[in-house]
Amino acid sequence: MRGSRPLAIALLALAVIFALAAIFYFTQKTSFLASGRPAIHWKHAIVFTVLTLLAVVAANFARPKSINV
Amino acid sequence: MLGAGLILFLAALQGVTELFPVSSLGHAVVVPRLIGLNFNETSPAFVPVLALLHIGTAAALLFLYRRDWVRIIRGFIRAAVRGRIDDPDQRLAIMLVVGTIPTGIIGFLLQDPLKSLFGDPRAASVFLIVNGGILFAAEMFRRRDERRRAVASTQVLAHEEDDPGYQGIDGLSLRTALIVGFFQVGALLPGISRSGITMAAGLVAGLRHEEAARFAFLLATPIILAAGLLEVPNLGADAPTLGVGIGAAALAGVVAYASARFLLRYLRLGRLDPFAYYCAALGAAGLVFIH
Repeated sequence: MRGSRPLAIALLALAVIFALAAIFYFTQKTSFLASGRPAIHWKHAIVFTVLTLLAVVAANFARPKSINV
Repeated sequence: MLGAGLILFLAALQGVTELFPVSSLGHAVVVPRLIGLNFNETSPAFVPVLALLHIGTAAALLFLYRRDWVRIIRGFIRAAVRGRIDDPDQRLAIMLVVGTIPTGIIGFLLQDPLKSLFGDPRAASVFLIVNGGILFAAEMFRRRDERRRAVASTQVLAHEEDDPGYQGIDGLSLRTALIVGFFQVGALLPGISRSGITMAAGLVAGLRHEEAARFAFLLATPIILAAGLLEVPNLGADAPTLGVGIGAAALAGVVAYASARFLLRYLRLGRLDPFAYYCAALGAAGLVFIH
């Protein structure tokens, strides 16, 4: 499969957004992005961490690779 | 708070029904009401207790496919680092990731509206009937396909499943894995079976029955485990005692292991029709007797 540099960059950008969201949920007590009283939302933080990893892996798949003969 | 006896009953029920294509969640919502057990499905402890039982079921699946999971995890790490797929283990690992993403994301986004359905046995009864219809339709499609192949082939097969046109998991494409993964989203509804809907999708995609079950079990494991681990902290003050919690999860796991072994053996020659009729009957009973 041929790689796509723009797709890889888009996926990396997505990974950065997911990572920022994960950091936000790990560090801030919130109530406006999730229902309920202000608290650390571990579940959201863990899900965004997993999504960050998946986006990085997807970007690695999408990047153009050098061909070894 | 749910009593210990009720939790152990739910554990046995969960163990039997989670891996059979009959919807454990549908059973947990419908059966207690049908047999007159007096408890409130809208109790804040209900879903976390079910999630605790899911950990037992996930442990049973991890044990059943322990060698596969070692190869899958190694394969995923190698594929993720290299950014390409070089062997069947890596391919299976990526297929499972791709197939898990739709349910993971949609389940996470819709968890609150979906939880409200868990307290509605009549809705679960309707979805049980729908689940029966899905299983029946998948087998009907499969029979038609087998007849078409038999007419086209000159070989006489002892069993339709011996047709080389039907494949194992290795023959699935990533796109098909994604489509099967989307089907798994349906299992977020109480009454629609996770293993049932993915087995049905696998059969339509051309997998042999036993391989469709294996793919359904492998695909279900991360979701079941994640649902359990993420939901258990919500037990809070309604948590059962540690002994009851561990005992219930262990009971669910042991029963689920035995059920999975039985189902895999059954599907070497058997079909999903009996489960389809059973789901339709249970759903109809729920609609008639639960008010």
